[in-house]
Amino acid sequence: MRNKRTLLFTGLVFGLALVFGITTSAMAENIRIGVASPYSGGAAGYGDNIKAGVNLKLKEINDAGGINGKKVELVWGDDVCEPKEAGMVGAKFAADKSIVAVIGHLCSSATLAAMPIYVRAGLAAISPTSTNVTIGDVGKGWFFRNCYTDDYQGQFLASNVVPKLLGKNKVAIFYENNDYAIGLKDSFMAGAKSGGVTVTGAEAYMKGTTDFTPQLTKLLVDKPEAIFLCGYYAEGALIAGQARKLGFNGPLFGADGIDNEDYIKIGGKAANNTYLTVPFLADAAGPAGQDFAKRFKATYGRDVDWMSANAYDCLGILAQVIAKTGPDRKKIRDGLAAINSEANGYKGITGLTYFDKKGNCAKPAFVKMVKDGKFVSAE
Amino acid sequence: MFLQQLVNGLTIGGIYAMIAVGYTMIYGVVQLINFAHGEIYMLGAFFAVTFISVLGIPFYAAFPLAMVCCAVCGVLLDIFAYRPLRQSPRLAALITAIGMSIFLQNLAMIIWGSRPKPFPQEALPAYFEKTAASFGGVNLSWFHLFIFGLTIVMMVGLNLIIKKTRWGRAMRAVAQNKTMAALTGINVNRVISYTFALAGALGGAAGIMVGAFYNSLYPTMGYVAGVKAFAAAVLGGIGSVPGAMLGGVVLGVAEALGAGYLSSLYRDGISYAVMIIVIILIPAGLFGRVLKETKKSM
Amino acid sequence: MGKLEPQNLTRGAKIRIGLLVFVLILPVLPFMTDYLLHIAILIFLYMILALGLNIVPGFNGLLDLGYVGFYGIGAYTSGLLTYHFGLSYWVIIPLAFINGAIWGILLGAPTLRLTGDYFAIVTFGFSELVVLFLTNEIWLTRGPLGLPGIDVVSIDLTLFGGPKWEFVGELPYYYLAIVMVLATVFVMYRIQDSRLGRAWFAIRDDEVAAVSCGINLLAYKVIAFSISAAFGAVGGSFFARWVTFLSPDMFKFWESFLILCMIVLGGMGNIWGVMIGAVILVSLSEILRELLPLLGLPVEVRFLAFGLIMVLMMRYRPAGMLPIAAVAAQMRAGRTKRRKTKPALGKKK
Repeated sequence: MRNKRTLLFTGLVFGLALVFGITTSAMAENIRIGVASPYSGGAAGYGDNIKAGVNLKLKEINDAGGINGKKVELVWGDDVCEPKEAGMVGAKFAADKSIVAVIGHLCSSATLAAMPIYVRAGLAAISPTSTNVTIGDVGKGWFFRNCYTDDYQGQFLASNVVPKLLGKNKVAIFYENNDYAIGLKDSFMAGAKSGGVTVTGAEAYMKGTTDFTPQLTKLLVDKPEAIFLCGYYAEGALIAGQARKLGFNGPLFGADGIDNEDYIKIGGKAANNTYLTVPFLADAAGPAGQDFAKRFKATYGRDVDWMSANAYDCLGILAQVIAKTGPDRKKIRDGLAAINSEANGYKGITGLTYFDKKGNCAKPAFVKMVKDGKFVSAE
Repeated sequence: MFLQQLVNGLTIGGIYAMIAVGYTMIYGVVQLINFAHGEIYMLGAFFAVTFISVLGIPFYAAFPLAMVCCAVCGVLLDIFAYRPLRQSPRLAALITAIGMSIFLQNLAMIIWGSRPKPFPQEALPAYFEKTAASFGGVNLSWFHLFIFGLTIVMMVGLNLIIKKTRWGRAMRAVAQNKTMAALTGINVNRVISYTFALAGALGGAAGIMVGAFYNSLYPTMGYVAGVKAFAAAVLGGIGSVPGAMLGGVVLGVAEALGAGYLSSLYRDGISYAVMIIVIILIPAGLFGRVLKETKKSM
Repeated sequence: MGKLEPQNLTRGAKIRIGLLVFVLILPVLPFMTDYLLHIAILIFLYMILALGLNIVPGFNGLLDLGYVGFYGIGAYTSGLLTYHFGLSYWVIIPLAFINGAIWGILLGAPTLRLTGDYFAIVTFGFSELVVLFLTNEIWLTRGPLGLPGIDVVSIDLTLFGGPKWEFVGELPYYYLAIVMVLATVFVMYRIQDSRLGRAWFAIRDDEVAAVSCGINLLAYKVIAFSISAAFGAVGGSFFARWVTFLSPDMFKFWESFLILCMIVLGGMGNIWGVMIGAVILVSLSEILRELLPLLGLPVEVRFLAFGLIMVLMMRYRPAGMLPIAAVAAQMRAGRTKRRKTKPALGKKK
């Protein structure tokens, strides 16, 4: 008796799963684009940024009548910034034939996990934020991104920012043990030689560490002149605070991972005198960028960040391509690949975007700093 | 550098001690590893922040208030999750503990969001920032002293409660032999709840101090801290309160020195390794007795 | 004890054969998509893992909280051997099995004489150390950079002058997974019926009696643990060649907990119960993934629900939904070991 009941129950559950699997492949009246990012979990804050940027562009497109008369519809896929979930989201998007392109993923490890699925299914993905260099190889022509890669940022910091802007030569590195930070650290150290920068020490930490005092103490023994916050804002802010407590008064610097209002909120006074490279700076952007920044602030009540800006442009690029090629997966990929030189690059709010054979794009980096509790341009 | 690392280690060690004591007390009376204890520590920090930011209660009042809330949480945990399983084999209770831990973690994520939160630093007394003493290249702020002081006071207080008060004696009796304790007229269930309350209060206090000192709160902070504190309790000898205190301090210092001199990546690994080695080689820890295997070992 | 009565054969076996046929023809049914196949493969993978874990608490009565460690070891064994040496998957399966078994013995031998709680904690610590090792030893595992571009499974007959056939898409993996599940179930049934199995049940039901019958407790426990670890590693090896990308944060404690949920829900010690547990939990996970945004609930409810389910199961149905009489009796009352019915020795009634 119990067996029958359990079997029935199991059949019901499995059946429901099938039903849900089917009903998500909706009617293809609209042009459906998948947006994959973490919308829950520790990285949900970044996912919010992507949502904000994409939604702003979506409203623009649909208010103007859509693409060739068809409205654009976004399908959200929550990958929790985890490779396994990213695989599930990827499988879902790939299997849903009405989804013609994907914006995502946010985290490089998630993109790495999902790309084989997209390649197999022939679905183009354009990422606003995945900076890991390897993705270009794994993507096999189906991957594009409109952000710079980790090796570019690291080099830029080592050869430009530190020696010229900060005027310092001895640097201690504090890096998170993940793909983003390791790539960044490696390219920084490679560029350090040409910039005449000496690295006095490098300490790694795991995500979620809150107590950095032992490692900081160790690093400060060699008296570095600046500390490289090679990771994300949450830990960066804590490192800043604890470094100040231990008596370090030199400048701190980091990359796009530090670019978040919470860095200032958590770091407080210690966050001052921090420099960071970012892909987008409203002050330095052209009139289109400044207008976008104003609209963003008006809609969401907070300052624009580079992830939102990139995501906005991603949807813009897709819209432009789809207008020419129609909602066809292969044609969209070809259309994206055709944006391959300065002449036919996409002019967006983040500047000019065009892709090379691996889907990477060359974007300039801007520098901003924290002064008196606010982000300002540092040029 | 060594002195600074020592100070770092003692700071975090005191915190581990406070959490470890909670684990050890609960294990003493109900022979259960309360996996959800780390979550009570986390809740302490979040309660305090909520009281300060949302209700505007000043720090000195929010601290004890949050501790009381954690005590209540501990009791509720006991009554609703563990008490019905008193007679069940340990496997069931262990699984329940893990289930409650996951439940509470995600509940906190839903209520407060999963992003790390800063502690409202303006609420802390201003003098916390200032240096109290400086020697050998080490700066000791008043905040450091506050943590040391509070930890010592609570440890001493706990010892007094256990040794001198009726409740303390009842707890020790229940830990030794539940049936006999019941026969002497002790209300075993109430004593157990009392133990949970005490453990919860201490854990909550630890959480508030960590949240304030390191300026970072997130719903999964109880997970790693909980395991490390358990390692400390094991090191000191599970069931022994002074052992847990010593174990906490030793583990904290070992961690700081290990992270400073060896490798910061295996920092958490130090605790796990210590735990495994101690359990395998000296299961009684430094002060404990080897608990006899009871029939309920399923 | 080892034979099924004719009545059972009719009802129980008919259901199972019917299920098997259904599963085999599932891919050609009209509503199937690659996404659903993906879910199905995931279910099969978890079935193998759950069957492996089932040995320890279900057949032996100990709680293994570090199962994900073996899963990870198997996955990285498979991934690294493929990445560096291009080994064929068919060679990797036994290698992963052996590697898992070795680590099972290494971990089990010093720890299996501990009481249940300590054992659980030590296995937990072990799995955390494995993850830390996988993350930090970048020279070996590429750590957080991940291991991308692992080859797909292929059947290579070029040595015999035949073609090389690579697995493309989900379908080949689907059938491979079915074969692996059937093999695992077969092995589990054989073990259950053997002297080894009977010794395990004796240990689970009453250690003291078992020792007095001359059973070497530690040896049998270590064997159980290492076989469990071996199956975890085999599951991991499949996982690596299926998703073709590995990264250390795929092997968190949550996986151990999830697999534990499956065997608890389905019925500890019961082979079919465990498999049903796998089906229920993976399906539930996917259903909740769809359902929660529709209901406006936050995504964390998915994990919260699992925690709650475990607590409720322990409270009201600790032996699972398809319980085994012996386990049910033990779970219901820790006091008495006397059973009203004849000991079922781990068999489903």
